Amino acid sequence: MYTFFKRTAPALALLGLGLAGCQPELDAPKADRGSADFSRYIAVGNSLTAGVSDGGLYLEGQLNSYPNLLAQQFKAVGGGDFAQPLFQSGQENGSGYIRLAGFTSTGAPITASVTTNLAVRGRVETRTNPASNPQLIYTKYTEPINNLGVPGIRMSDIETRGFGNVASTGGTLLAPTPIFNSYFERITPAGSDQTYLERVAASNPTFFTSWLGNNDVLGFATAGAAASFLTPVADFTDKNNKLINALTANGAKGLVATIPDVTSIPFFTTVGPTFKATLLAANVPGIVVTTGAFSSTPGTPATRKSIATADIKGADGNGRQLFTLTSSPYVALFGRPNNGKAWRDVYNQARASLPPVVSLGVFLAIQGVDTTKAFGASVENPFPSTLVLDDVEQVAVRTATTAFNNALTAKANEKGLAIFDANASLSRIVTTGIVSDAVNNTAAFISGNLFSLDGVHFTPRGYAIIANEMINAINTKYGASLQTVNPNNYRGVRFP
Amino acid sequence: MNLKSLLLAGGALLSGTAASAGGYQVTLAGQKNNGMGGVGVGLSLDQAAMFYNPGALAMVRDRGIQVGVNATLARQAFRSQYGGPQRELQNHVVTPFNLYAGFGSEDNKFAAGIAVYTPFGNKVQYADGWEGRYSLTEIDLKSIYVQPTVSYALTDKLSVGAGLVILAYGAVNLQRDIPVEGAAGAGAAHVELDGKATTKIGYNAGIYFKPTDKLSLGASYRSKIDAQVEGGDVTFSNVPASLGSRFTATEFDATLPLPATTSIGVGFMPNEKLTIGFDANYVEWSKYKILRFDFRGNNGAGGLVSTSGQVGGSNVSTSRREYKNAWTLRAGAQYQLTSGLTVRGGGSYDFSPVKDGFVTPETPDADRLGLTVGASYKFGSFGIDVSGQFIDLKKRTQTEADLVANNTADRVAGTYKTRVLIPGIGLNYTF
Repeated sequence: MYTFFKRTAPALALLGLGLAGCQPELDAPKADRGSADFSRYIAVGNSLTAGVSDGGLYLEGQLNSYPNLLAQQFKAVGGGDFAQPLFQSGQENGSGYIRLAGFTSTGAPITASVTTNLAVRGRVETRTNPASNPQLIYTKYTEPINNLGVPGIRMSDIETRGFGNVASTGGTLLAPTPIFNSYFERITPAGSDQTYLERVAASNPTFFTSWLGNNDVLGFATAGAAASFLTPVADFTDKNNKLINALTANGAKGLVATIPDVTSIPFFTTVGPTFKATLLAANVPGIVVTTGAFSSTPGTPATRKSIATADIKGADGNGRQLFTLTSSPYVALFGRPNNGKAWRDVYNQARASLPPVVSLGVFLAIQGVDTTKAFGASVENPFPSTLVLDDVEQVAVRTATTAFNNALTAKANEKGLAIFDANASLSRIVTTGIVSDAVNNTAAFISGNLFSLDGVHFTPRGYAIIANEMINAINTKYGASLQTVNPNNYRGVRFP
Repeated sequence: MNLKSLLLAGGALLSGTAASAGGYQVTLAGQKNNGMGGVGVGLSLDQAAMFYNPGALAMVRDRGIQVGVNATLARQAFRSQYGGPQRELQNHVVTPFNLYAGFGSEDNKFAAGIAVYTPFGNKVQYADGWEGRYSLTEIDLKSIYVQPTVSYALTDKLSVGAGLVILAYGAVNLQRDIPVEGAAGAGAAHVELDGKATTKIGYNAGIYFKPTDKLSLGASYRSKIDAQVEGGDVTFSNVPASLGSRFTATEFDATLPLPATTSIGVGFMPNEKLTIGFDANYVEWSKYKILRFDFRGNNGAGGLVSTSGQVGGSNVSTSRREYKNAWTLRAGAQYQLTSGLTVRGGGSYDFSPVKDGFVTPETPDADRLGLTVGASYKFGSFGIDVSGQFIDLKKRTQTEADLVANNTADRVAGTYKTRVLIPGIGLNYTF
């Protein structure tokens, strides 16, 4: 054996040498920063920027936030460290979130809440969140940070004093004042009344991304246009101009993202098609809903709207009326007499903003609702407006989205900034999906990989796609050659 | 060599490799030919004529048996369109082999023989977690042809021959990850398809003409065989329980065409010692339009009421191949240095049957340039042949946009570059 080895060793060594020379090498693609300077990157935005996923802000979502993914890619071309207000170990589930627990026998998803290892540090009573349902506050994080994403913030909030101060509890129903935002409070030093705009202005970036304004339409839309409000365009434009001026004051370059048309997200496209199919199978010609805000005037009941079954937007894209993801438990009650669950839940949500004298019975009387009648099938017991975004409401939402996007784009162009047209991007994904290495990602709920279980925010895969779209826009605008991230390295929805 | 390593070697023996000829064809059928750029249709070198041109068998002067084995050492680099590190294959050696035994009549008019060889095969195993894992993690495609052959010399210048080509053994093992996410830390969901092909019969035939001592011409044809797997095994691992009803299949059927090949060749013998050959092969790859798997069976994972035969919620899987017919051009020569020693050299250029934007991880094909060397040493009735080939595949890139445009988005976007080294050795005994 030994002599055999001695004799064959030189031949084997030669073969080894040949093989080593045989291995091809492909050069790594070059990375270049172009005319941008990524040394201090600041991300401005809302929940999408913070990394909210599955209805909550938690560590995994923060780590997979698109600003964090961008910062990773910026590092290859001189980008600096990127600090985020990460939840610490032991509190990694942050605000809590929902997870997929399984499917019913008919294939409907079952979700469950994750309520362990939260970062909740206390509860504060406010005007809209009284003692029965106080507003949660989270473990503070007041170290310097680069990701200024604040879940829930609207463009209209950026000049609100005390927006990060627990003392801002909203005054009274008759004399309302601003209410603090728990996530801005988390990253703001105790007792400070600094506004979001001031915080941004002090951040001194060399490069920034700004994706703000979604909540200026989203809250109104997800409430079925029954609550919240659309920010007036003049106010939106004015505040956006101030924001971009502050960011570019020291000559920083950056990217501005537009607001996607929220009516194509799974929050609005999941329940309707199933409900429509059920109604068609049962030969139900139509349903009744209320539209717009609820009435606060006795004698003027909430406005009714009859919707033909054919007019509900179905899986084939035909029809117009959209049902919210939150309507899922209620559409199952369709046609049942003596069923007041939907209206009871609406009352409980609205209660804090109603005068104390308005009991459930009074509220129902004002709306003209008689819950003994067949639910959803009758004028007397219609679907509450909160569950449906009807065609008229959609027009209001789209009109506002277009106006806001015009304002965002005009200002970005004025400052010569890159633009990520999230609206165009999402509509392309809705139409054709987006492929990543043999995986087709779509805007479908759960199976599409991109949207998380809340139907509004992205999964890590979705955020990776967003990061890539932004990288493409940055590369084009600034002559950079940043590498994209591999979307398949980031998960879609987790299945049990 | 102990028993265990023998068994391991035996396991590897059956495979060809992705990288020894266009598509999943393997042309390593004769050790002398291997050293000469793979020419052989217009020559009558040895018993391997049964593969290259059965018509030339009757003109092979010696009768005998010969066995050859090759080691294909493929090295590949892949870079994803999305960036990330260079990916390399898990290194392995596969060993296509050939075995021939030929007999002839006293008057040299008639010859018969049996050939065993591996004309198609493919083994590729990608690194764990590589970008194309949802398309393929590994494939092992094996085939062994057994070919009884007869050849007859019509005149001392013209001979014909034919063989019965039997797909005696065929097997496929194909694995990939499934793009669903289980619990954190759970391994990747994975599917393995494993099946054996049913025995199929085709034929080959050839004609050989040697008008002078200095010139020979040949043409041959090998028919198409559809390798068919019926009732292969489908095995899932790590599929999240809540998705069980979408992954119920236990069996699959599939068909893979092993295409027909037409070859012409010419040989020049300017003197006793020098032989020069040129070949052209035309492979009818265009028969390979689609790779389709049909699934059936029910493993009960989603409860027995679940739909049977599901893989990812569907009971068929189709993938566009749309290969095109392709040429291979070959040239080679041998020179007898001494009475015992003959040296060889040659080259080949293989046009890929795979169109741009259709490259799959299972056959990361591209136009390939081959350079070969070889030598034989003969002592008495025994001879030993060695050969070495270096094959360089052109760098090939496809983008996600190309794939989407071609409706081939079930594969991976990026750049492939492959090289292959194939040393081979053969022994022959003539009588």
